[in-house]
Amino acid sequence: MSTLVNSAGQPLAPTSPVGGAITAPDQSFFKDLNQEVSDKGFLVTSTEELFQWARTGSLWWMTFGLACCAVEMIHVNMPRYDMERFGAAPRASPRQSDVMIVAGTLCNKMAPALRKVYDQMSEPKYVISMGSCANGGGYYHYSYSVVRGCDRIVPVDIYVPGCPPTAEALLYGVMQLQRKIRRVGTVER
Amino acid sequence: MPVLHSAPKIASNEGVLDALVAALGSMVVASKEEHGEIVLTVARAEVENALRALRDDHGYQQLMEMAGVDYPSRPERFDVVYMLLSVTKNHRLMVKVTAAENTPVPTVTTLWPNAGWLEREVFDMYGVIFAGNPDLRRILTDYGFEGHPFRKDFPLTGYVELRYSEEDKRVVYEPVKLAQDLRSFDFMSPWEGADYILPGDEKAAEAASPPPVADKKTTETKADTGAGDKANDKAAEKASAPAPAKAEDGKAPEAPKSTDSRPEKGDDK
Amino acid sequence: MSMQLETSPTTGDEVITNYTINFGPQHPAAHGVLRMVMELDGEIIERIDPHVGLLHRGTEKLIEHKTYLQALPYFDRLDYCSPLAMEHSYVLAIEKMLNLEVPLRAQYLRVLFAELTRICNHMMNMGSHIMDIGAMTPNLWLFEVREDCLNFFERASGARMHSAWFRPGGVHQDVPLKLLTDIADWLDTRLPELFGDALSLVVDNRIFKQRNVDIAIVSKEDALAWGFSGPMIRAAGIPWDIRKSQPYDVYDRMDFEIPVGTNSDCYDRFMVRAEEVRQSIKIMKQCLRDMPEGPVASTDRKVSPPKRAEMKSSMESLIHHFKLYTEGFHVPAGEVYVATESPKGEFGVYLVSDGSNKPYRCKIRPTAFSHLQAMDFMSKGHMLPDATAILGAMDIVFGECDR
Repeated sequence: MSTLVNSAGQPLAPTSPVGGAITAPDQSFFKDLNQEVSDKGFLVTSTEELFQWARTGSLWWMTFGLACCAVEMIHVNMPRYDMERFGAAPRASPRQSDVMIVAGTLCNKMAPALRKVYDQMSEPKYVISMGSCANGGGYYHYSYSVVRGCDRIVPVDIYVPGCPPTAEALLYGVMQLQRKIRRVGTVER
Repeated sequence: MPVLHSAPKIASNEGVLDALVAALGSMVVASKEEHGEIVLTVARAEVENALRALRDDHGYQQLMEMAGVDYPSRPERFDVVYMLLSVTKNHRLMVKVTAAENTPVPTVTTLWPNAGWLEREVFDMYGVIFAGNPDLRRILTDYGFEGHPFRKDFPLTGYVELRYSEEDKRVVYEPVKLAQDLRSFDFMSPWEGADYILPGDEKAAEAASPPPVADKKTTETKADTGAGDKANDKAAEKASAPAPAKAEDGKAPEAPKSTDSRPEKGDDK
Repeated sequence: MSMQLETSPTTGDEVITNYTINFGPQHPAAHGVLRMVMELDGEIIERIDPHVGLLHRGTEKLIEHKTYLQALPYFDRLDYCSPLAMEHSYVLAIEKMLNLEVPLRAQYLRVLFAELTRICNHMMNMGSHIMDIGAMTPNLWLFEVREDCLNFFERASGARMHSAWFRPGGVHQDVPLKLLTDIADWLDTRLPELFGDALSLVVDNRIFKQRNVDIAIVSKEDALAWGFSGPMIRAAGIPWDIRKSQPYDVYDRMDFEIPVGTNSDCYDRFMVRAEEVRQSIKIMKQCLRDMPEGPVASTDRKVSPPKRAEMKSSMESLIHHFKLYTEGFHVPAGEVYVATESPKGEFGVYLVSDGSNKPYRCKIRPTAFSHLQAMDFMSKGHMLPDATAILGAMDIVFGECDR
């Protein structure tokens, strides 16, 4: 098992309690990378991997806060959870965002606007459906004015359950989306 | 009844009802004090005058809320309820008028500007028309919505639902199709006078006559079983399982032939 | 966006008359889903027509199809910035119909958490107000406070936001002592620090003042006529607070002040909220000091369910539990209107019962309705960027506005 080291390379004492082993980043891998860059001045990789790296590393999300879930969506972006460390930054413009987080109940009156925003986003685009209302109507499923799931309007990549999902849950959803992007690849899409 | 609850305590209701009924005179149709709330029902045509009198002479400065209620069984099926608040007297009051679909209620936008949206909402939800409201559009429901959703005869799930159509490249409306209907339970106990047939009891209700209860059937002695000693002895014997079926030439019986009516594969053109 | 070109009647030149722009329905400063059709003369707002209902979920209709207890969580989801304050009106309305006594400890707990909710709500509102004006940092600190609040809610009820913790007859379950001591510590140390730091950046800030002072002045008469309540009416200089004038639960035992504004502009609204947070801290400390021991829910078993442990040994408790969670309780026929001071203003519930186990009609009085309606006259003659300041100072949440 590798150990955690600080910036000076000194090993750190494991802070986690028993059972919660910390997997440290592979130091030798980073050292090799550094070495290669400083020796040759370039790295060789496949375009696919490069695109995936870029895509997963800067998932700018469209702030589509509709209802209660929007509050948790803000919370995940605030200092305690700080989603920006995963490269996911809020972006209010659909033209410049990669992923739309549909946070909250989607109502009939709002549905055309949701679709319009989705259509305005540039490819490749992803959708995270957050909360039970967006997933399938949830508590408001039987209402006359609620769309029973935002997947009736836009294709959804990741569903995050909960009412509302906690900030951690949404964070996990974003990480799942990153995994999905890596797995699906770029050429097929 | 002593007040036990801890809901907001307003100024005393004592004498307020009588004073208001006396002051408003013939405008008041009915009045009551219930659950600590004073409710005045006024004539529909006079509602603006009554509310103006309450605002100007009795210090109910604020119109906090307007609510519609639907009682489909009544000839004038809707109630429109105005919640008034007096910040000087620290008192609340409810004023009610009744209305039908075709009987407009005079607007009170002349008294309170915020009545505009409140009336729009009652109109949107119930279809009560407010005569004189300059901007009586729908407010909460979808653009182009049909019907008045809070009426009791409007189904909870409505009539249409939305879907994005790939063919039309736009959002389309379709009739509602639910995977599972809303489960609405009736908690009335059958012995409390439910007037419906319980699921599974349909046949029981059709039965011509209940079994005669008078001649009871009991099996206290052996004779009452209706079989007698021989039968009892026979039942005690252990019946052995019959031998498995075996074909005479020692081969296992063949599987049944396939039915002829089934079409051949690839023949379904 | 549309622009009309017309010919001037005197000179014959082409002049630009009015812009009509759509603000929303998807706009980060709209605090949700608001669509405002704005008519602009250059950058001056001539007319605003707010279109609401983009989050209309038919809550009131759904409530009519649920038992009283099943309908309770809908209230959390109305104003999702202050969930417990919404429940407060509803449970008080039911209790008023039933004339149900609530144990003292439950009343203290409700007041304690209602004030915690108020702090939570104001953190959200003030933070986003500041952010709409253009400052980022205070919001980060204020959300840290909110995060603490949500942790407290989670420790009390199990849910970060939608607690469903206030129940007819009391609260759902008692809180551990450690939670109360932690809240007390938090009130003394962390909250004043974070809150003070965040506010020190804006209250005397020149840009913040320029964006807020003298924006959207509302006279006392207008505030009354438009049905204002909460911080909006207090900023107009009317010391009207339902907690004080129509006390519910144990607010009559609390010693607190009502902050009022002098100028009735957006800055006053902001500062009234800031002072309310300090008063809430004061109320919460009194709650923690005076809270007695005892039951946290009514002992009337026809309304409030028995404890789990009781059910293991008592047949009657088991029957009560079963009946309450299937059929629910029946509420005597009649109608009440109960309004409480939610962080945004007067939040009322008009409840009509026909004597059955489901509400016949439940009308929710949103605070936002009358405030947002006044948006038109409040922003007339102001610049386009002021609209976000006015909207931010109003504290609108669409879950509650559209229901």
